[in-house]
Amino acid sequence: MSDVAIKASAIKASEPLTLRAQLTEDWLAVVIGLLVFGVALVSVSGTDLLGWAVTTSVYTDLTQALSPFAKAYALLGGGGALIATYLALLVVLSAGVATLGADVRKFALAFTAVFAIAYASWIVGSYAYVAAVTPAEQQKFGISWSLKLTNEGGFIVALLSGIVIANFFPRFAEWLKEAIRPELYIKIAIVILGATVAITAAGKLNLASSLLLRGAAAIIEAYLIYWAVIYYVARKWFGFSREWSVPLASGISICGVAAAIATGGAIRARPAVPILVSSLVVVFAVVEVLILPFLAQTFLWQEPLVAGAWVGLAIKTDGAAVAGGGITESLIMAKAAAEGIKYQPGWILATTTTVKLFIDIFIGIWAFILGYIWTNHIDKGPDRAKPAEIWQRFPKFILGFIVVFAVSLWLALGSTPQIAKALPAAAGEANVFRVIFFVLTFFSIGVLSDFRKLWQQGFGKLAAVYFVSLFGFVIWVGLLISWLFFSGFKPPLVS
Amino acid sequence: MSHVDLKNEISAKKVEPLLPIEKKLIGFSLGLGIALLVILIAINHFVPIKL
Repeated sequence: MSDVAIKASAIKASEPLTLRAQLTEDWLAVVIGLLVFGVALVSVSGTDLLGWAVTTSVYTDLTQALSPFAKAYALLGGGGALIATYLALLVVLSAGVATLGADVRKFALAFTAVFAIAYASWIVGSYAYVAAVTPAEQQKFGISWSLKLTNEGGFIVALLSGIVIANFFPRFAEWLKEAIRPELYIKIAIVILGATVAITAAGKLNLASSLLLRGAAAIIEAYLIYWAVIYYVARKWFGFSREWSVPLASGISICGVAAAIATGGAIRARPAVPILVSSLVVVFAVVEVLILPFLAQTFLWQEPLVAGAWVGLAIKTDGAAVAGGGITESLIMAKAAAEGIKYQPGWILATTTTVKLFIDIFIGIWAFILGYIWTNHIDKGPDRAKPAEIWQRFPKFILGFIVVFAVSLWLALGSTPQIAKALPAAAGEANVFRVIFFVLTFFSIGVLSDFRKLWQQGFGKLAAVYFVSLFGFVIWVGLLISWLFFSGFKPPLVS
Repeated sequence: MSHVDLKNEISAKKVEPLLPIEKKLIGFSLGLGIALLVILIAINHFVPIKL
């Protein structure tokens, strides 16, 4: 997604659309995600290597907000844990982006600012007046009102901070660009998320396997129904050329940025076309993240799994969808808790993630199908689509998720009771970093959302296709299908 | 390819007609999608989510 920050004018029309950088970013996400998971897993043996990671509690006194994850590192204090977490991320990510050919010095400086603003936003989101949900919590903090956003309201604060910077401080946004890598951050987070999803699934294997079966419906909906309708709307109603309509339909219907770029490359579109479509996808994803979780809380709180699936089907881009699932889960659990219903955490987010990952898996195949049709029937030339492109365009970070999920599931169900008992704490440590990468993703998406620039570039007509398709079709069909497959089934209750 | 070129291109009135292969792609996708959804809805009915 960081590609969307590239100006179209900087790309030569004749330059082939290469996926090399994106693939490398995928593998980097796998390596960093596995590293976090592996180090966290050491705690199962009794040696805690990640307990210094910073966590934030809901607070009214700022000095009480931060603390290290494990009591064994209490000496560090909240400030020490924050600095340790920042330094660890700085070192690992700087080494990582160096392999992508980035300017490490620029990245380190920009990342320092990105981390500072994003984590400050997270802390603001944990302020009791923002986060406290139940009357009991309000009483505990001695407050009479709160926005009831849960502490995950910090994601919204981070997103808004990024949007303010993008639209009012464009030079600063430009300076931050080297560390604005939402795709990298969310892919690392998704790899780490595999552990939490596995532990959640291990508790209720039947429900988890049922969710997997229903993920297939998401694939059919995104690729066969959404794509066909939006492509028709773009071509027939709005008169877009084939070169514009393919990435546009893919961006709106499948998986935002990755799909727009993959299918744009497959039909041999000029590189600027899918990249500009991607900018649009990011802006709409921001709007959706700000609206849909609250609509889900208001209208779907009694159908939590429908809400989770709906968010995964309606919000495009992995980052916004999975993080939107996180907010939706917090909001719905808070509303249910206020009504005296306490769901086990993780199921709504797991539903969103399952739906999203199922959709992602088929990007390469769909891109190949389109590439085959285009290069053999529409723009016939020597550069024909090859089956190898399926693997080239496969989102590799999903392999990282599968490895973490499989190892965690095996440890939870197939190992000794001692390991199974220690596993949730290890996954909890890794989850601290998952949350931080979510915050970095939200902030980065905000910084990429320069609404004014998009409008100046004359993308009103592109935005119109997006608006008509999204609000006239995608969210309603997504809601219908989510309802058909998930209504009536609730997450397990906290025992 | 400047921003101005792209802006003009997006605003252009010239329309590429839908080719038969595009119509086939849209039709097959929609038909297959709806058929598979119906099958999945049937499976969902007979194999409900297990708690």
